[in-house]
Amino acid sequence: MGLEQQQNDLIIDQGAGFVITSIDKLVNWARSGSLWPVTLGLACCAIEMMHSSAARYDADRFGVFYRPSPRQADVMIVAGTLVNKMAPALRKVYDQIAEPKWVISMGSCANGGGYYHDSYSVVRGCDQIIPVDVYVPGCPPTAEALLNGIIELQRKIKKTN
Amino acid sequence: MANKKYEQLNDLINQHLESFEIVKTKHNTNFTLELKKEDLVAICSLLKETKALNFSMLIDLCGVDYLHYGIDDWETTNATASGFSRAVQKNTIIPDPDEEYQEKRFAIIYHLLSIEKNWRIRLKTFTGNENPPTVQSVTSIWGSAEWFEREAFDLFGIYFDGHPDLRRILTDYGFIGHPFRKDFPLTGNLEVFHDEAEEKVKYRPVSITNRPGVPKVIRKKKNS
Repeated sequence: MGLEQQQNDLIIDQGAGFVITSIDKLVNWARSGSLWPVTLGLACCAIEMMHSSAARYDADRFGVFYRPSPRQADVMIVAGTLVNKMAPALRKVYDQIAEPKWVISMGSCANGGGYYHDSYSVVRGCDQIIPVDVYVPGCPPTAEALLNGIIELQRKIKKTN
Repeated sequence: MANKKYEQLNDLINQHLESFEIVKTKHNTNFTLELKKEDLVAICSLLKETKALNFSMLIDLCGVDYLHYGIDDWETTNATASGFSRAVQKNTIIPDPDEEYQEKRFAIIYHLLSIEKNWRIRLKTFTGNENPPTVQSVTSIWGSAEWFEREAFDLFGIYFDGHPDLRRILTDYGFIGHPFRKDFPLTGNLEVFHDEAEEKVKYRPVSITNRPGVPKVIRKKKNS
């Protein structure tokens, strides 16, 4: 009882208050604060992706929370070498993500084929298959580099509209 | 010493395989038996079924393509401190697909282990000039051969007679060619892309060309 009274007093003391923002900014803020990536580990980059979400780097601080299904995801982190055989499956997973959706290409292989650029079985960059928003360089990129990529994507989302 | 064990194995091999035409070479503490491909299944089942040998496990089965064997870009007798700086533009030598293969082009290597005796042995057989290269399957002897033989078929195009389900295992669905053959171009023939208009992942001919590569160096011994 006493606490409720105190809280009511507080609101009355400070006045009702108001915040001015645009709907776009509010929506962008909400979206960038809860980027749920679909887990798409294709090679060794996936290990660094795991590190970024584990206790030390804790990607959950940025609202990044890995989902096992594209239907629950907002962003796709392509972590690793994309081979020809995987390409239709990758496109299918991307198509299943509900709009709005973003893509982070993680590591040299996903960016442009990397070490396997000349190979007969490797797609020379996942942007041949899906549109990419942020490219994270490295082989593999460190967990910090991936976090930086996520922050860059958040900045990009905040700039839209 | 381990040598005693291998002397024992040597004696047993001489004893049990004397009726076959085999070439035996010893590498360190390991034997390689080069055998005629007609004798393959008979020798394999003998090695497995003979109680004294008991090679119960097939560790690995792999193919080898000897097409460019002994052909080098750079012959030397020295090692360098600076490395070999000049790159080599490699052109894939593509032989006529219908012609017979050279006698010693494709080999198949079998690595066997006797768990009970702690022995290892390596078998090697050439497929001869048959096109497509064909050997008898050993799936009836070791079940683990099934996927190994599919892999060798996929990558080298070696046919295994008697395999229950010989189809590709690693390469893309509908892939054409056998990529571990020396006459297969490194960049392949097709690449995938997404067609925006048709909303489909499709194939097109490769857009890149072979780049100059690292020269193949054969370093001969100084006194030979």
